[in-house]
Amino acid sequence: MGLYFKFMKIHFKSELQYKLSFALSFISQFIVFFGYYFTIICLFDKFSNIKGFTMYEVLLTFSIIQFGFSFCETFFRGIDTFDDLIINGTFDRLLLRPQNILLQVFVNEVSFVKASRLIQSIIILIISIINLDVIWEFDKIITLIFMLFASVILFLSIFILAASYCFFTVKGLEVRNVFTDGGKHMAQYPIGIFKKGFVFVFTYIIPYGFVNYYPLLYLLSKENNKIFIISPLITIVYLIPSVIIFYKGMKRYSSVGS
Amino acid sequence: MTSYITYFKLKFKTGLQYRSAAFAGIATQIFFGLVYISVYIAFYESDSSNLPMELSQLVSYLWLNQCFFTLIFMWYKDKEIINMIKSGNIAYELCRPQNLYLMWFSKLFGERLSKVLLRFLPVLLLAIIMPSPFNLNLTTTIPRLLIFILSLALASVLVTVITLLYHIICLFTLDEKGIVNMFMVTSDILSGLTIPIPFFPSYFQSIVNILPFRYVSDFPFRLYVGNIPITEGLIGILVQIIWIIILIIIGNILMKKALKKAVIQGG
Repeated sequence: MGLYFKFMKIHFKSELQYKLSFALSFISQFIVFFGYYFTIICLFDKFSNIKGFTMYEVLLTFSIIQFGFSFCETFFRGIDTFDDLIINGTFDRLLLRPQNILLQVFVNEVSFVKASRLIQSIIILIISIINLDVIWEFDKIITLIFMLFASVILFLSIFILAASYCFFTVKGLEVRNVFTDGGKHMAQYPIGIFKKGFVFVFTYIIPYGFVNYYPLLYLLSKENNKIFIISPLITIVYLIPSVIIFYKGMKRYSSVGS
Repeated sequence: MTSYITYFKLKFKTGLQYRSAAFAGIATQIFFGLVYISVYIAFYESDSSNLPMELSQLVSYLWLNQCFFTLIFMWYKDKEIINMIKSGNIAYELCRPQNLYLMWFSKLFGERLSKVLLRFLPVLLLAIIMPSPFNLNLTTTIPRLLIFILSLALASVLVTVITLLYHIICLFTLDEKGIVNMFMVTSDILSGLTIPIPFFPSYFQSIVNILPFRYVSDFPFRLYVGNIPITEGLIGILVQIIWIIILIIIGNILMKKALKKAVIQGG
């Protein structure tokens, strides 16, 4: 853990070497991703609700998903660009070091510019929390924390799984974008509003539903079953096999040479 | 002139080589089409008091967006041109006895056309056979079809001219991130690619209407699905032509300026 923070510090310092460029990219990232929120605000200008969910409820859902995604993009970016490591053969170098492999992959590349999205999602999260009429009792707060946590875990498992795929094919998996970007686009709305087939895929195959739908129902007092509070933790069940597959894949790994 | 056509052909043929990328692209397009449509269906089922478009029109509009996505999207950076600007290899291009603007235009245009030719038919066919209400409705009248084809052809020129302008801006910034990213993403929103223009708040619509971006995708597709009357369509085509001319002039002026004080990075 100490090592991770040390790496973070080094990356942070090196990015700050180019101050102007850092600031510009930071701002542009901010504006680029404002586009997503803009879409939602526009649509709620025309429609009063989506299957009973209001604008701030949808914004809350979306900011939780964005939080998880940008958290992984900021702090675990190395796993996102894993195919570069394999193609360049740099992965061999990591294998030689007596440290945890996954940790080394995470810190291999860090982009603090992406933190711009993270901050943005937190701002939207706070705005929607202020505007929702939820009485923030202890169980509601716990639910929200679990949702944020689950969102991070979910994207981390998808990233690790996609990275393991590189062991077998060298090249990155393009279809992954359907699961991350496409899934992210769906999950900006509570999953339950969609037709049954979509709900099934995005609850049981990729557990977006457990991140932003079932706990949300509890948060908004639409369901009172306590089991909904801990439903986000199901995402951990997805993380474990992803990590196992990663290590299994690593055993099969043969260097690309040079 | 023939040399420019050769550039076009070159890019066009290379583009056609990437068939497996096209396959992944088609899958993504279909998936995104379905996702967008399900969101709108959920909205339409919840509140139907204030609808700017009929659902069937909207669904067809969204599918057309996906079919021609590679033709109309603005977030496009030509790696070759960007690398040339960054590495200083643009110096070689300047040595050639050719117009750089026309050369880049032919390259960008060829790339776009090859991409869309590989993708649009499968997406179109799959969209037609989708179960209702997810299906694309192709029925239209002959005059409408003709005017649509004309407007789409003009749109493909217009979008190339716009993206070319962004590449020219790179000549000033020497970087394709930052400002250029901002331009690209706002133009995607303003062209109606993220949500159709009729869904914008009304004060915003008046701004969008005076900008060129909506003439790239919003205008031809709404014309096809019948959301814009034919007479208005004819005026729109005129506006498209005017914008193309204006943007070509701006692009050429900017390019001259940029090249006058061009700093070649590196040796």
